[in-house]
Amino acid sequence: MTQRIELVINDRCRTVEVASNTTLLEMLRDQLKFKSVKPGCWRGDCGLCLVLIDGRPIKSCLVLAQELDDREVVTVEGLLDNGNITRLHQSFIEKGALQCGYCTPAFLLASEALLRRNPHPTRERVCESMNGILCRCTGYKQIVDAILAASE
Amino acid sequence: MFVTLPEFEYHRPQTVSAALDLLDQYGGGATVMAGGTDLLVDMRYRIRVPEHVIDLKGIEELGKLTFQPGEGLVIGATVTLNRLLEYDAVQSRFGALHDALEDMCDDQVRNRATLAGNLCTASPAADCAPPLLVFDAKVEVASPAGRRMVDLPDLFTGVKETSLGTDEMVTAVHVPEPPPDVQSRYLKGKRSSEDCAIVGVAALVARWDDPRDRVVRLAYSSVAPTPVRVYDVERIFRQDKPWGDLVEEAVSAALNRVSPISDVRSSKEYRVHLIDVLTRLALRELLGGRR
Repeated sequence: MTQRIELVINDRCRTVEVASNTTLLEMLRDQLKFKSVKPGCWRGDCGLCLVLIDGRPIKSCLVLAQELDDREVVTVEGLLDNGNITRLHQSFIEKGALQCGYCTPAFLLASEALLRRNPHPTRERVCESMNGILCRCTGYKQIVDAILAASE
Repeated sequence: MFVTLPEFEYHRPQTVSAALDLLDQYGGGATVMAGGTDLLVDMRYRIRVPEHVIDLKGIEELGKLTFQPGEGLVIGATVTLNRLLEYDAVQSRFGALHDALEDMCDDQVRNRATLAGNLCTASPAADCAPPLLVFDAKVEVASPAGRRMVDLPDLFTGVKETSLGTDEMVTAVHVPEPPPDVQSRYLKGKRSSEDCAIVGVAALVARWDDPRDRVVRLAYSSVAPTPVRVYDVERIFRQDKPWGDLVEEAVSAALNRVSPISDVRSSKEYRVHLIDVLTRLALRELLGGRR
């Protein structure tokens, strides 16, 4: 059984036909082709499928697409400023905060959400906010450095 | 591994009575969903396969979070862990609950997971349970017959089992206002930040200076089929005895009450050791130089 939902994705209104058992992750990645939303563990552990819902970072494998009717979602594409990368992106590049890139959309979104609410977080606060996202390459130090540099 | 969720019908009622009608109509084939962080994982692994999922997040009443002097804290069934964590009264008056919330899952999951859901999953390791047990929390349960208050210890009947009937749902958690000088902590023995507790202990102390009226409470997670409160502790600490003797008696009372097992996270022996160490540590942190 499918249902039609209306939502805003990256500032654009969309109408989508979704099945009851479709998660937000599947809707974004498979139906709407937002390939930046990465599948990983499918059980809320790895955080790679993170998106912002009404400004809050949330793991999209644990959300039913139907719940998003009338809500607002931001994927990493939505962080661009008129098609240009922002200070946060630049900071990730400068600090070498990515290797394979698989977790990068999740870290960018989570750090954007953190910095919006807390523009000058402590290192401890950054680590706390990121500990639900797994990176298998960098060892996290560069990611934390990049977020702190962007907050200066 | 099952990647796709099983098929089901999704319902999003606007009122508690509409949700109860759906539960009544579909009987055991329906389940309520608050944050869904446990339910959707169980469904993916076919541990639970409900034909109907009743999403409670559309019910305005269940989103309320209030603190009133005299009445205490009322936490609606869809209030997320992060909303609670950010709520001033939780930090200022319910320290053990704040400790538990701060260390639960991660920031993103806390934006979805709820307190009521954590209790209804009824894991022996539920971090919110020991703090709520020492604060004498009650759970408000709605059914077609009306609403009733259930003492938290009576909600838990076994590993991931509750006393709720198939036509019942939790609408709120009520936590009475603690005495003004209350202090409480939740300490957790664990392997890593997102791992669940090997042993968790909540300790609460109030009116310490008056031995006859003294309130000391202890409750534990991951030490028995359900979270447990050790009621003997209150009586023990009202005795006129040296501090060291009181703590020894409290640790013995706790060890008598629990039934730890060996599992993937810890041996039974290590759990016994942690119960001893964490109990002493929690009491020492709360009482500092006052003893």
